[in-house]
Amino acid sequence: MVKLRARCLLVGDAAVGKSALCHMFHSDGTLFHKNYSMTTGVELLMKCVNIPETSDSVELYIIDSAGKETLVEACEKMWGQPSLLCLVFDLTSEQSFANCSHWMERVRAHWQGLHVPGVLVGNKSDLSSRREVQASVAQEWAQSQGLEYHETSAKEMNNFDAPLLSLARALHSLYQERRETIQNLSPG
Amino acid sequence: MFDSSLSSLGAKVVVATSSDENHPPENIIDGNTNTFWMSTGMFPQEFVIRFAEPTSISAVTVDSYNVKRLKIEKNSSQNASQFESVTEKELENTEGHLQSNTISGIGSSATHLRFIITTGYDHFVSVHRVSVQN
Ligand SMILES: Nc1nc2c(ncn2[C@@H]2O[C@H](COP(=O)(O)OP(=O)(O)OP(=O)(O)O)[C@@H](O)[C@H]2O)c(=O)[nH]1
Ligand SMILES: [Mg+2]
Repeated sequence: MVKLRARCLLVGDAAVGKSALCHMFHSDGTLFHKNYSMTTGVELLMKCVNIPETSDSVELYIIDSAGKETLVEACEKMWGQPSLLCLVFDLTSEQSFANCSHWMERVRAHWQGLHVPGVLVGNKSDLSSRREVQASVAQEWAQSQGLEYHETSAKEMNNFDAPLLSLARALHSLYQERRETIQNLSPG
Repeated sequence: MFDSSLSSLGAKVVVATSSDENHPPENIIDGNTNTFWMSTGMFPQEFVIRFAEPTSISAVTVDSYNVKRLKIEKNSSQNASQFESVTEKELENTEGHLQSNTISGIGSSATHLRFIITTGYDHFVSVHRVSVQN
């Protein structure tokens, strides 16, 4: 039995639904805020995820960071050294997708050379008539950045837990890989 | 004493922040670099070694992997609290083999040594052996 721990950074433009997604995830799908309440700093949520078919688990410390441009700099100081990345955009806003590359630049500066498993999330899939970003385009960009792509709706509870569950599993695989490497090391 | 493992001399690891059942902190003091304690995510990570009796230490050798910054503290009390700082060191990255660093200047006698790993070269780090030179 292993209990892993990870800092998961949650970023993306304002109002794309980051807080909605992580509150849904945290409350197992029972808490959706219809009214927008802007995150002005960082909010920390902890959730323990069991890894299927093992007795292992991952404690995710989700850092829900403000999306509004003028608040980002202050938030960055509290990101620390993240182990996982969840980058969110709004499927009904082309602009929020275009800004994802800026977000990537910003967060990469905090990696310190480490490999950080990440996902790209297109949220608000329920608003299909207002969709501005095609899945294939988002998928392709995600791939070019080494991110796994997911579409979600926090509102309709569609796939809302998939991105963070997938990150937990990615960390678990990384741990197993690293443990194997260490087992096979030669002495100094 | 150099050739004996710390555990055979009655030392114990009394605090460790991470645990993988298969790689328990006792592996740090069993004298064997093939067994290890592995951190399970996030920094800082720490462990505390308690000696059976106040022990004079001239240097410690730490065999590890992917540790970047290491802080060592000590005390000479019965409890694992109120430590004084001994040293802080940036270790070299060694790909494919263990890091082995001898840190001297520990000073007079100690009952506890506290090792704090503040950053790593990877998400997960391992400590294979801590040995003490008197
Ligand atoms: N239709 C729809 N609305 C959503 C969805 N997810 C979030 N919303 C709404 O979008 C608005 C913004 O959501 P938040 O979660 O607060 O957005 P945020 O990304 O945290 O924004 P900042 O904190 O400013 O960075 C709220 O009114 C939510 O109710 C969704 O999947 N579908
Ligand atoms: Mg928010």
